[in-house]
Amino acid sequence: MNIRNLFVTAFRSLAKNKMRSALTSLGIIIGVASVIMMVGIGNSARVAVRDKVYTYGANAMSIDSDRPFTEKDLERLRRTTSYIRYITPMIGGRVVNIKYENRFIASRIRGVNNDFFRIQEWPATYGRYFTELEILSYEKVAILGDSARLALFGNASPIGRIILVNNVPFQVIGSLSELGQAFSGRDQDNVIIIPYTTAGLKIEGRRDFNEIYASTYSEDLVGKTADEIRRSLRAERSIPAGQQDGFTVKTSKEKLEMAEYISKTLAILLAGIASISLIVGGIGIMNIMLVSVSERTREIGIRMAIGARKRDILLQFLIEAVTLSAAGGIVGITLGIIIYLVITIAVGWPFLFSVFSIAISFIFSGAVGVFFGYYPARKASSLKPIDALRYE
Amino acid sequence: MKNVIEVRNLVKTYFLSDEVSVQAIRGISMSVEKGEFLAIMGASGSGKSTFMNILGFLDSLTGGSYLLDGVEQASLDDDRKAEIRNSKIGFVFQGFNLLSRTSALENVELPMIYRGGARPSEVRRKARELLAMVGLSGREDHHPNRLSGGEQQRVAIARSLINDPAIILADEPTGNLDTRNTAEIMGIFSRLNRELGITIILVTHEPEVADYTGRRIVFRDGLIVQDVQFRKSPRRGVK
Repeated sequence: MNIRNLFVTAFRSLAKNKMRSALTSLGIIIGVASVIMMVGIGNSARVAVRDKVYTYGANAMSIDSDRPFTEKDLERLRRTTSYIRYITPMIGGRVVNIKYENRFIASRIRGVNNDFFRIQEWPATYGRYFTELEILSYEKVAILGDSARLALFGNASPIGRIILVNNVPFQVIGSLSELGQAFSGRDQDNVIIIPYTTAGLKIEGRRDFNEIYASTYSEDLVGKTADEIRRSLRAERSIPAGQQDGFTVKTSKEKLEMAEYISKTLAILLAGIASISLIVGGIGIMNIMLVSVSERTREIGIRMAIGARKRDILLQFLIEAVTLSAAGGIVGITLGIIIYLVITIAVGWPFLFSVFSIAISFIFSGAVGVFFGYYPARKASSLKPIDALRYE
Repeated sequence: MKNVIEVRNLVKTYFLSDEVSVQAIRGISMSVEKGEFLAIMGASGSGKSTFMNILGFLDSLTGGSYLLDGVEQASLDDDRKAEIRNSKIGFVFQGFNLLSRTSALENVELPMIYRGGARPSEVRRKARELLAMVGLSGREDHHPNRLSGGEQQRVAIARSLINDPAIILADEPTGNLDTRNTAEIMGIFSRLNRELGITIILVTHEPEVADYTGRRIVFRDGLIVQDVQFRKSPRRGVK
């Protein structure tokens, strides 16, 4: 019996029990759809995180310390390292109340110098950055993030307006372009940025600070610079060898690696779940094929009586199982792509079409059919012709 | 004179358990010449159906020897037996045994498809010819459930012929049919035997059916108790 005839026979017998065939394939459909979806989402998340980290500045790093820094530390770090291009104190992250006329919002405040905007590569859409004089003279001037601006001023120009930050009046001198959500989901644009001098004096009540942002000239200098900073700070603070730093230097690259690690772990986990559902689907196919073999014992007997060999019967049932699982695979792939597409549109991640994962899923679903269809097919083919023919 | 079937001391024992066994055929010897048309008769349980199943390579024998066209059954593996069933034997059953939800034409084609080697157009042409020969032109696309018993049996006869078998084995082929259809089916068998020289062995318990044949073998308790040739086998058209 040739392949074409075998497939025709398989399709026909599956078409006899449309509902049963559909339900049997469902396990495979769900399994394959989740593989496609998970792999897609994993890839998209990785790309999205990379983009996010790069908007944050691929050359950037942050230095946290329990023991506070002073302005002198900034100067020393510039002097004792080779490749720091921009460096700024980073004060706050504290949530403040902002009032303009009858509008109130709660927003995160940051005290920085102008290097901050260059590290973040964060252009102003209205107005300007700070002047040196404003920073030196503790001026109460503010630059708003895009969503803070929108909440307070709508479409009106914010420039020159006076807002109250925790009841302290500030003049708005600029606003920034939209950055979008952070990876954590926090709105990075609901922010108010003021000179670090002013922040220390008017908001925090102290002149030192616990965090520094810096950036290098290029991405490949980041690691080296982080090491230099570590060495310089240890020397400055006379930390003996073998003792903990007491501060941490975090680079964008590390954050990226962390995010990739998380998404990879997640992908492995989800792939595990997906393969379990594929196995369950395969067992479903095996179960139904066993039922089918016993229901069709007489048909098998007739076929054997008119000359079907063992391998003809084996192939007939094997191809039926593979047709079930491969059809489930195709539907699952389609469904998975659709769900994945909808999710990427909803979350705003890039849609990455992976031919590889589609091919793998299809081959795998076919293999599930072969693996779980073999035993029932074997059982059918090893029936004795006379027993099969007499079966009631 | 060439014997298409040669049976010597054939024994068939069913082992129901370690202790209990039933001897269904207790040492039979007989032969059938090419072109014969014979009836096997006997009460139920006499061993005639078992004998037919062994003749048809559907069941194996326990002792003795059975040669079909000079080939010893016991020497063959399952695949070779399937090939013999496919190409040398045509089966016609009491219950027709057509595949349901498969058209008459496809039912007839199936043995030739299993044999392989023929072009689909050739298979189709031959199946159509055979259906025409049994008087079913125009019913090619009907499924068994839309055919009468007599028509289904004619499809089964067409199917049994598609690979040009050496013998046709018919196990109570008219058992489920009325008198008119019985006459039609037996007419077809007679014609096949007379005009094409096909060897036909049929099991029946109706004497009027046996009357169409040329030889009658009666079974009782696993033995042949009567073997009468009352009409000369036709010699015309023998291959």
